[in-house]
Order: sequence, then structure tokens, then C-alpha cells
Amino acid sequence: MPSTTKSKHKKSSPAPKQTAFSSLNGVLKPDDYLKLYRFMLLMREFEETILKLYQQGKIVGGAYSGRGNEATAVGSTFALEKTDYLFPLHRDIGAHFVKGQTVRNMMLQHLGRAGSLTKGRDGTGHYADPKLRIYGNISHLGAMVPVACGVALASKLRKEKNVVMTYIGDGGASVGEVHEGLMMASTMRLPFVLIIENNQYAYSTPISKQFIVEKLSDRAIGYGIPGITVDGTDVLEVYRVCREAVERARKGEGPTIIESVTMRMAGHAAHDNAWYVPKLLLEQWKKKDPIGQFEKLLMDEGILTTQKKESMLAEMRSVLEAEAQYALEQPYPPGEQASEGVYAE
Amino acid sequence: MPKILTYIEAISEGLREEMRRDPSVFLLGEDIGTYGGAFKVTKGFFDEFGENRVIDTVLAEAAIIGAATGAAIAGMRPVAEMQFADFVTNGFNQIVNMTAKYHYRNFVPIPLVVRLPSGGGIRGGPFHSSNPEAWFVHTPGLKVVAPSTAYDAKGLIKSAVRDNNPVVYLEHKYLYRHIKGEVPDNDYTVPIGKADIKREGNDISVITYHTGVHWALEAAATLSNDGIEVEVIDLRTLLPLDRETILNSVKKTGKVLIVHEASLTGGIGGEIAAIISENAFEHLDAPIRRLASLDTLIPYAPTLEDYFLPNTQKVSDALRNLARY
Amino acid sequence: MSKVEVVMPQLGESLTEGTIVKWHKKPGDKVRKDETLLEISTDKVDSEIPSPASGVVTKLLFPEQKTVAVRTVIAEIDTDETAAASAASAPAKPTAVETAPPKVEQKSPVQEVRPVATPQPSLQAMPASGRFYSPLVLNITREEGISMMELEQIPGTGEGGRVSKKDILAYVDAKKKGIALPQRAAAPAAAPAAQPAAGPSAPRIESTLKHVESGDLVKKYPAPQYEILQMSNLIQKMGEHMVRSKQTSPHVYEIHECDMTKVDIVRRRNQDGFEKREGFKLTYMPFICDAVVQALKQFPLVNCQIDGDKIIVKKFVNLGIAVATENGLIVPVIKNADEKNFTGLARAVNDLATRARMKKLALPDIEGGSFTITNYGGFGAMMGTPIINQPQVAIIGIGSIEKRAVVINDAIAIRSIAYFTLSFDHRIVDGALGGSFLSAVIKKLENVDENLLV
Repeated sequence: MPSTTKSKHKKSSPAPKQTAFSSLNGVLKPDDYLKLYRFMLLMREFEETILKLYQQGKIVGGAYSGRGNEATAVGSTFALEKTDYLFPLHRDIGAHFVKGQTVRNMMLQHLGRAGSLTKGRDGTGHYADPKLRIYGNISHLGAMVPVACGVALASKLRKEKNVVMTYIGDGGASVGEVHEGLMMASTMRLPFVLIIENNQYAYSTPISKQFIVEKLSDRAIGYGIPGITVDGTDVLEVYRVCREAVERARKGEGPTIIESVTMRMAGHAAHDNAWYVPKLLLEQWKKKDPIGQFEKLLMDEGILTTQKKESMLAEMRSVLEAEAQYALEQPYPPGEQASEGVYAE
Repeated sequence: MPKILTYIEAISEGLREEMRRDPSVFLLGEDIGTYGGAFKVTKGFFDEFGENRVIDTVLAEAAIIGAATGAAIAGMRPVAEMQFADFVTNGFNQIVNMTAKYHYRNFVPIPLVVRLPSGGGIRGGPFHSSNPEAWFVHTPGLKVVAPSTAYDAKGLIKSAVRDNNPVVYLEHKYLYRHIKGEVPDNDYTVPIGKADIKREGNDISVITYHTGVHWALEAAATLSNDGIEVEVIDLRTLLPLDRETILNSVKKTGKVLIVHEASLTGGIGGEIAAIISENAFEHLDAPIRRLASLDTLIPYAPTLEDYFLPNTQKVSDALRNLARY
Repeated sequence: MSKVEVVMPQLGESLTEGTIVKWHKKPGDKVRKDETLLEISTDKVDSEIPSPASGVVTKLLFPEQKTVAVRTVIAEIDTDETAAASAASAPAKPTAVETAPPKVEQKSPVQEVRPVATPQPSLQAMPASGRFYSPLVLNITREEGISMMELEQIPGTGEGGRVSKKDILAYVDAKKKGIALPQRAAAPAAAPAAQPAAGPSAPRIESTLKHVESGDLVKKYPAPQYEILQMSNLIQKMGEHMVRSKQTSPHVYEIHECDMTKVDIVRRRNQDGFEKREGFKLTYMPFICDAVVQALKQFPLVNCQIDGDKIIVKKFVNLGIAVATENGLIVPVIKNADEKNFTGLARAVNDLATRARMKKLALPDIEGGSFTITNYGGFGAMMGTPIINQPQVAIIGIGSIEKRAVVINDAIAIRSIAYFTLSFDHRIVDGALGGSFLSAVIKKLENVDENLLV
């Protein structure tokens, strides 16, 4: 059992997959496994589509890749209820889909079109969709933590039993506001789960220059809350650990820090070829591809077949292509709209 | 029966009434609960409203403003207190990048009030006396108010709480207990974005707010003995500015003195001067003058602070110079 | 970066230093070639100094009120092409950001600035006098259909005689009600020195002086009961010259009565034609100058100076005319006045007086005088005892011209009378010479050629 800060759980020796798999029997239905797989695949295919559009010069700003982070993004959000709140990062596109966001909205948002959720005022995952309780990131990632805590506070004050899940990277975890937010969340026992996505690099800075603790979850000791490190390439492990944290939060037992260890398999953004990352490191992590690993497990268990996979992929690609085309045909907002909406009525 | 309240009592009463009126209103800040706040604005609130509506937080301004923003996103109406306006810098990123930018991007209202006890004249020195309004006036998405009287203090805190936008509420510490005024019993508000003519006159307009209003009123009374009639415009709201009232007054008098306690350079006086020259140039009979604190830190020793700050005499001298022009 | 150094100019051979009175630019400001960079004050003259190059002012090496030796570098200008080019074009071509009114702005609920209202340039031409009018005054002038010439005649009660909102409104009101219009005492382009008949309108020197706000004196003479002003260089030098003159020359004064009636008749008869022809008003001053020049030719010892035990007699007449300006007294000189005819003298008087008031005098304009005329009558004085302008040996003072009852051929007549004072240096000029000279001046005026201007 992964547990609190004293956990000996290490990324180098994850729990055997069969164990994780069987421990979730009864919790996840066979269909859920396919959903997890599908969301991870959709995240990757969506990002591939965006990257292509970027390379064609059709994306206004930057394009980010969550390759390597699919299990973390999807597994964590899969533990949330519809009424829970999600504050995802730019490498958590899959989380948006799990929480109910449509490919169309995501595409319009990335292309800055008039019909996007922000009406073209911001790009990528920088949007809020209160209906789905998705509150996308801003560029100051660390700044999201206190705000997410505030939503958790509102939930607690109104006795709603809704949980707030947010994320930070190994880089963003150094920002002071993360500490402030955790101070508030811990002292107030807020229904709050913070996932630290340790993907080895903050832009070009390796984790060796960012912290000297063994695990980022060790920081939980300082707040007196549970801290768990999980293999971020194993979607079931991520789900299992997050589910426990979410349940604990819902019961009023306070926040949890989960360090999800994975690898950023691309550059910081599409313009960055990550030349500074040793090839050998990438080779090693490639073997732990979250989608490849889970695919093999599902096929071994007979839940997925090659044929099923191919048809799923084909359908997904055709939808993505059609949605990209649709979004490209949509207009940008009229320039004069820039002056509207600074204030709410 | 209208009653006489101090400026600080007026703020308390406004907050208390709003909390009784709307259960989604709650307070958070440092030492505001059982202790009643560093300046006692929330004295007695804890007993009346309980720990879930008068929340003592950790000493972390970014967390306070961030959490208030989050609660507002979730549909509540938080009022966050900074113990001193000076400390808002710790939460600056939250206000300018999270709070202020939220509605424009996401169309989600942020009904949040950040209370900033600001201002000098209390021998607080460089870290307890600041007037940080210009930073926030330069931040689209916020509203910034700065009342000068008990009536306005109460009316504006109530409007701020009811507003669906983040409002930076600057309450001047010197005015807290130095200023008293009549406050009606009924439930009234003072509109945000509307300046108030505190004294009418035909010769010179003083455009000011906070302590400047009181300096200007005292100076105006003296000058009136010499036949110089000064109009005193109390801006009350610094963002958005009430351009109409400013320009109408300038068109009436032709001479303008802008007074603020915040330092001169980059202060809101420059913005007002620009608005006037862009829109009322041909109504000017004298150069627009500004009177503000020095471009230095706010010093500690009484002699230094007195020299640093504007006062009634300095306003009076500046007005006489303008009258002579 | 190409750098141009600005040096303290030598505005006259004898000058060794100058005082920086005012910087018109700050470091970082753009400056065009020949645009005023600073004002300086020397022993002899106050002057605006034009920038030697276009560019950006990078350094001002001395503060205002600092006196520095001539040819000292006092400022630096970066004349890099970009800096210079933008400086040159800056006033003519504001950037798009400043003026282009984005269409959206009008709809904007946030920013209600009207697209920057390009203020209608006030329709009137700028006043020739250099008098400043506020935008509001010009606006009212335009709305009320008041011409610039009319505006120039309105007396001002504001700082330095500025026409304030109250002044222009009072004028408009009076005009509408048909009440006598307030008139400015002296036309700006004409020298009050040359208008003995005009009412008092002394320039307000105190308005041009710097307020002293620190130092021991501030405690000794506290505001608001007292106001402490810094004496300008010009005023200090004037004082020094006056003291030195009184110590050098034993002053003797003679006062004669002059009947200006005939001059007045000639002046009035020719006034309109003269003004039409010359573009400025005919005053008494050229008549007086003409008479003085002729008398000096007759009595050359009054036009001399003393050097040790020698008398230096001058074979030319350089006529100094004292002019009151808002910066203090200044004495521009009509060079070779003896070679000019009446109209030439009139033009010279008008030119110097105008330039004196606009601070456009150059050093040569005030150097080398051999005799001086001062006219205090313009400010209401009937008589005066002027101080000799060293190293000259005499000065003539003109009192106010008033109608008086006088006896002529045993009959009482009304005549325009003025008292002329000659102050002279008794080291060389005695009472007989002084009296003869002054009598000659008066005789010429009283018998002025009626066809002088025909």
C-alpha cells in the first residue's frame, strides 16, 4: 500500500502491474480500462495534430507536448467526479478530455478562434469552463495553487464535498506561491490534491539543479500531510493513488501531495528540440511509454485487440482531422472585441 | 436617525451589513478573527459570524488573495484584508495575473474585495505607510476605490462587496479615527466610478482623493476669505475614473491642481493631467499643477515624514500660486 | 555615438564667464539644431543659446545658477543619426501611437478617451509681442470674435501681466455692455520708454525671479509674511554699476522745462501715415533722440569719457536708450545715431525696445554707448535724477508730459510740458556746459521742423 511520507515506495521498483491491475478489480470496470486507454491515445493524437498545425504555421502561439505525461494526466483526472474541480497544466491535455471537454473546443482554443471558450483572448489550455469545472492554467503555473485552494475553501465552507485537483511541474514547484497555497490547504484541511509532475526537466534545467531531496513528495512532511511518489507512466498506479487522495480529501481529511515521476519526451515547446537531454535518458524512458505499457497490459488481459486498437485510432484520426478543418474555417474574433469584457456586469 | 461614525466604524458597519445581507460574503486575512484585525475593523465579527465567515489565515498574502480569487471563481464573495497595504506586494502576482486577468479571458466574474489599509501620517515608516494605488490603476480588470469620508467609506465598501469585479479598496489609516461623519441609517451605497464634488467653486479645481480631500477643503475655506473660490473634486474611485466630473469642473474653472499623497512620478495625477489636456486643453487658463509626496521612500522620523507629505499649507500655497497666474 | 559638446559661448570679447540661468532641456530630451538649449546671463546681457546640433541631450554638466568660464563644456549632445533624425522629425511627425485614433477606442467601454482630440490650432496668428495667451483665453477670443490685435490691447492682471480668464471675460462683458474697454497701457511693440504719455505699466520683475526656499534667510523672513527672491545676474550687475558710477562721478543735476506742444502736434499729425508706412506707432522718443544727437554734435564734450588725466572725445554718437523689461533695466544702444535721419532713429528705437523685451538682444546691441536717454515719465515721474551710465559723462532723463497752464506773452496758455533732467559728471562738464547743452536740446524740440516727416 502506498501511504504517507514515510513510504518506501520508489519509482525504481513500482508495484507489479498485475497487482495494481487486480487491486482495482471491482473499482474499475473493463470498459473503464478502455476509456483510460482511449483518453491517453486521444491526448497523444490531439497533440500530434496540433504539432502538425504548428509546423504548418497555423498555430498563432506555441505548441506544447505532453508526450510521456499521458498516464499522469489521464489517470489522475479519472479519479475525479463530475462535481470536482480540475486545474490542469499545459501537459495535461488528456485531463481536459477526461473531465468532458470536447475536441472541438480544444481545437478552437488552440487556434484562437472567435468561437473558442475564451473568444480568442487566450490560447492553448488557458481557459475556464465552469460547466465542466475545468479551470485551465495560466503561464504562472505556481500561481494556480493558491487559487485552487480558494476553490477548495469555498467547497469546504459550503460543505459541498467537492475536491479540487491541481498540478505543478518539478520546475513550478519551486515557486513561493505553491508553498503558500500548501500552507493554507494544510492548516485548513482543504479538500485538495496537488500532483507534482516530475518530468525531469524545467525547460532546459534538469531536476538535479532544482531540488536536492530524494523525492518531491518528501516536501509533504513540512506541511504535515501525506506525500506519495508514484510511477507516472503507469496509468493504473496513478489512478489508484489519486483515487485514495481524492477520497481522503472528500472525507475532510485534508490535502495530499502526489509526485508523479515521468519524462518529458519532447522539448519545452515545439520550437525546442531538447538537444540538452541526453539521448540515452530518452532511450531508457522510451521503454516506459505510458501508452505502450498500458496497451500491452490490456492486450495481455484480452481487453484490447490489435484490430480494436486500429479501428479506435482510425476513427480518432478522422475526427481530429475533421475538427481541425472545422476550426481552421472559423473566423478570428473581430479586432474591436479586444476592448470588451474587461469588467463583468 | 443618521448617526456620527468614524471612518473606520463606517467601514466595519458596511462590511457587517453586507455579511448579514448575503451569506456568500466572507472575510479572510491575518488576525481578523478572534483578534478583530490589526486596526479592529473586524472587531466583534468573529462572535457574530463565526469561524467559517471570518477566517484567520496563515501569514501568506499570495495565499490569501489567491484563495479569495478561487472562492470568487466558485461563486462566493470574499473580502480579503491585507494587514497593511504595503504587504499586498507579497500577493501582487495573484492580483495582477490571476485576479485581474480572469474575467477578460474566461468570462467568469470575480466578485472579490481586497482591503488595503494605506497611507502615511501615522509614523509608520517605509513599510507601513505606502499608497500603492498607481500599481493597481495600471492593471486593467481591477476597480480601485479610495474613500475620504465616513459616508463614502461605508457606501463604497458595500458597493465593492456587491460588485462582480475585483475591487481594491484603499482605506486610509490616518483617516480611520481622525475623520468622523454623518452616516444615514438606511441601506445606501456609493456608486463605484462616480466622483463627488465636495465643495463648489468657480476659480480653481482641486482634483484629489483620500487625505487630499481634507487638505483641499481646509485650504479652500481659507482661500475663500480672500475671494478665491476653490472647487474640490473627490475622485472616490480611481479606476475607472470619472472623466465627466473631472472635465466638467475643469471647463468651469480653467485652472487645476491635482493632489495626492502617493508619490508624484508615475502617480495617478499624471494620468488625470493627460486626460485634461487631451480633452479640455482649450479650457485651460493655467498649466495643470500637481502636488504629491516626494519621490522618495516614506521616511520614519516625524520631521522627515512631515516634509515628505503634502499638507493643508502646501495645498494652500499651490492654490494661491495658481490663482495668481 | 557621435558626441557634440556645447560650450559656454563668449558673447563679447571682454567676457570671461557666464551664468546658466535656465536649461530648456533635460538629459534624454531631443533637441533640434538652433532650438533654444539654455538661457545664460553675463555681465552684459541675457541671452538664449541655440543648440549647435540636432540630437539627444545626454549630459548637462552644470546646474542652473552656476557661473562657468567661457568655452567650458557645459552639455553634450548625441547626434547619432537615429537620435538626430527622430529629434528632427519629432515635433512634426508624432508617432502613430500618439495620434492614430484606433476605431475601437470610440466603442471602448474601458477607455473612454475620445480619439485624441487634435486641438484646433487657435486661429489667430501668434502675437508679435511674444505675450503668452492660455488656451482658454485664445478659445474665448475665437468664440467672441476678438482679433489678435484687439487681444494685444487688453490689460492683464495675471502673473507677469498675463491676460487671465477673468480679464478676457471682463473685456467681453464690457464690450457687450458698451462700457469703455480696458486698454493696455502700452502697446507691446512700442517702447514705453518712448511713450511718456502712457500710464504706468512697469514690468513685473519679481515674477521672473526664482523663489528662495532654503537657507538661513528662510527662517529669518518666514513665509507667508515674507517672500525671498534671488536677484538675477542682471539686477546684481545693475546695482554694482550704479554704485560704481556714484563713487566715480560727482553728479550734478540741472532741470529744465520743455514745451512739447509742437512735438505733440507734429507727432499727432503724422501718426496714422507713419504707422501705416512703418508698421509701428510714432512716439515722442525719436523726436527726443534727434534733438539730443544734434545737441551732442554741438557740444562734443558731453559725448566724451575720462581716462586718467585724458579726455577721450568721441567722433560718433552711440545713443543708449534705457528700457525697462521684466528681467530688469537694460540699455540697448543705437549705433552711429548721428548718421541716421528721423525715420532711421524711430526704427532703431522701436527695434531695440522690442528686442529688449523679447530677450533677443545680442551683446553688440548693448555695448559702446556714448550717451544715454532714460525716460521715467512713462511711469508717471515728473522729474528724476538719473545716474550716469559709466564711462559716459552725462545722461538725460525725461519726465512725464503733462498739460500745464503756462504764461506765454503775458497770456495763460495750455501747453504740453515735460521736465528734462541732465545729470552730468562735474569732473568734465560744468554747469555752463551742461545748461547750454540741455537748452540746445530743448530749443530743438520746441522748434521742431513741422515738415520733419513730410
